[in-house]
Amino acid sequence: MKRKISSIGLNVFLLVLGLVTVYPFIWMLSSSFKQNKEIMALEQHLLPQQFIIENYINMNAHFNFIRFFGNSLLITLVTTVLVLYTSTICGFVLSKYKFKGRDLLFGFVLSTMMIPWCVTIIPKYSMIQAFGWMDSYAALIIPAAFSGFGIFMMKQHIASIPDEIIEAARIDGANEFYIFHKIIFPMAKNGISSIAIFQFLWAWEDYLWPYLVINSQEKQLLAVGLKMFNGQYSTDYGALFAATTISIIPVLIIYLFFQKRFIAGIAASAVKG
Amino acid sequence: MMKRRAAALTLAVSMAAGLWGCGGGGSASTAETAPEVEVPTEPFGDTIKYDPSVPINDGKDITVELWEWGSDELFQQIIDGYTAMHPNVTIKLVNNPWEDYWTKLPLALDGQNGPAIFNVHNSYHENMINYMAPLEIPLEDLEADFTGVEAHVIDGNVYYIDYGMMTGSVYYNKEMWEAAGLTDADIPKTWDEMREVAKKLTIRDGDRLIQAGLNFNDDFHQNYLLGLNYQLGENLFLEDGRTPNVTSDAMKQIMQMLVDMYQVDGIGSADFGEKSSDSFGQGQSAMVIQWGHYYNTLNTTWTDIDFGVFEIPTFDGEPYAYNRYNGESTFGINKNAPADQQAVAQDFVKYFLANDDAQIAFNLAMSTFPAKKSLADNPEIMANPSLSVLAEHIDHYIWPGPMPSTMETSLKKAGEDIFYNGVDIDTALNAAQQEIIRDMQSSTFTSVEDLYKYAQ
Repeated sequence: MKRKISSIGLNVFLLVLGLVTVYPFIWMLSSSFKQNKEIMALEQHLLPQQFIIENYINMNAHFNFIRFFGNSLLITLVTTVLVLYTSTICGFVLSKYKFKGRDLLFGFVLSTMMIPWCVTIIPKYSMIQAFGWMDSYAALIIPAAFSGFGIFMMKQHIASIPDEIIEAARIDGANEFYIFHKIIFPMAKNGISSIAIFQFLWAWEDYLWPYLVINSQEKQLLAVGLKMFNGQYSTDYGALFAATTISIIPVLIIYLFFQKRFIAGIAASAVKG
Repeated sequence: MMKRRAAALTLAVSMAAGLWGCGGGGSASTAETAPEVEVPTEPFGDTIKYDPSVPINDGKDITVELWEWGSDELFQQIIDGYTAMHPNVTIKLVNNPWEDYWTKLPLALDGQNGPAIFNVHNSYHENMINYMAPLEIPLEDLEADFTGVEAHVIDGNVYYIDYGMMTGSVYYNKEMWEAAGLTDADIPKTWDEMREVAKKLTIRDGDRLIQAGLNFNDDFHQNYLLGLNYQLGENLFLEDGRTPNVTSDAMKQIMQMLVDMYQVDGIGSADFGEKSSDSFGQGQSAMVIQWGHYYNTLNTTWTDIDFGVFEIPTFDGEPYAYNRYNGESTFGINKNAPADQQAVAQDFVKYFLANDDAQIAFNLAMSTFPAKKSLADNPEIMANPSLSVLAEHIDHYIWPGPMPSTMETSLKKAGEDIFYNGVDIDTALNAAQQEIIRDMQSSTFTSVEDLYKYAQ
């Protein structure tokens, strides 16, 4: 009986927590169908008093939404795939190979996570200028191709794969690349899913770096576009909410696909050392 | 499970596709309805003349970038007008978010790849001026056509001027005005009259405020403290142009008036309507003083409000100056850009200054009073009530120069201390004075109040 009551209590608590978390999204979705004057009205209603779809139709008035959305999707997918591959291969090497300086190298990787981005952004900007990568996707993709967090997570995750499996493969004549691609990669899919979600989200919502290095409107990303709704004197909230609603669709899809493995991956990476 | 995922994916993709369709349509229709550009063949302009027959870059193809924030269509219009005369020139418009524009622009101007032309706001003067090339238009020509040029002269050079002047006016809710039995004859000319009108517009239910006659919450520093001092003959800075003058008797009198308006007259409250601009739009407050941009906000966001505008009242009807104004600036030219790009930029700025249509369009878009003298009584400008109310006394407004933001933030803090924390006026203004002096130590700002036409 006691257990049942505590279980109900926990569920009610989680339900309330869930509602608190989800409410801003519902409010944003609902407000995307309101006029600005209703969004800013003194008397607030969750549902639109006057339902309009103009915010969606007029999204392009501020910037080329479709183009920015497509650009963001491309950059996010490319960097996510690259990070997944580089993180897994680096994690594999750091976890399963014993060589001199391995721990030092791993420490160096970890240290990259500890330096605030605002310290590195100016030197990074200068480097990109010196390389001639300004206003090109190389400036977005190449610096993002390696992730300290991804390497750390995958090293932890791959450590949970028994060495015996790798030894057995070697005895059967598998080379190291075969072992990585055919054994380690499939066995690390929970960890990969976790990194995929994190990386996708980070790349999708990244604003300042793409804004600084990309000038051409036709190459610009959606996170930058969303800021265009904030004017010098006012903000077009309706259009901003409409655009933001559309912009979270890819993130939702990724989460839908990877959620089970994501949780398993996070749990596994957390306990293995 | 797979079926559920597939269904979710299909739904999401179809939603996105549908919405892309909506957006795409919008884009296409914009292109279809683009107006034809009239190409002038004869020189035009007042003293600054633009001759469209002079070839640019010897007729050779050239591309330059123009960076701006927020007003794509407006900028594209002037670009289209220019490139129609000079088809060998391509001007790539780069739109930016307002806030981070000021982070990105200095970084870009510092390198080789910055834009040749960029939009300027004088509040970022100190960050930008070292990257700017002086205008090649003779100073006398600029002064002949535009007001306020002298205040922009640095060592004999002008890097940008104002195309428009923005300042504060009183916006009132016409329905509330009528409901209070007021007519056009009641438009106040003095602050005493203003307070009486505001009392009539105030509605209370017992002690509870239902409708504020006047609301100045959140922006009293901008719209009262940094402007009404001129009505009382006091500048914001002392004679050296660097020492703030916020502990003057004039400033204390203005602050006391604001306190009395809320605490003695009861025409509003510091706890009623967090932001005066929103409160007016929400139909909570009958009058607010706002700067020109508010006219556009009312017409785009608060479309249900039937509003009128009148000139800011004065203390005695004969002020030293009516208020402070701030300029909307002409474009900057990147001194680090290649010489051929800089030449195009110089020519483009000249075209902008000589072109009355562009001047009118920019001023109407920003609700600024034209700095171009020949447009002071232009019918299109006069049709905008937020500008027509300024026309009569526009030469009685002062620009103190690109003041450091500490003037605003410190006075806002002082006012909030008075209204919310019970600090007395002298103590709050003294604290603001000290804070401004401290903050301005690293600033090169010097006031140009002494250049006011009627300076004493």
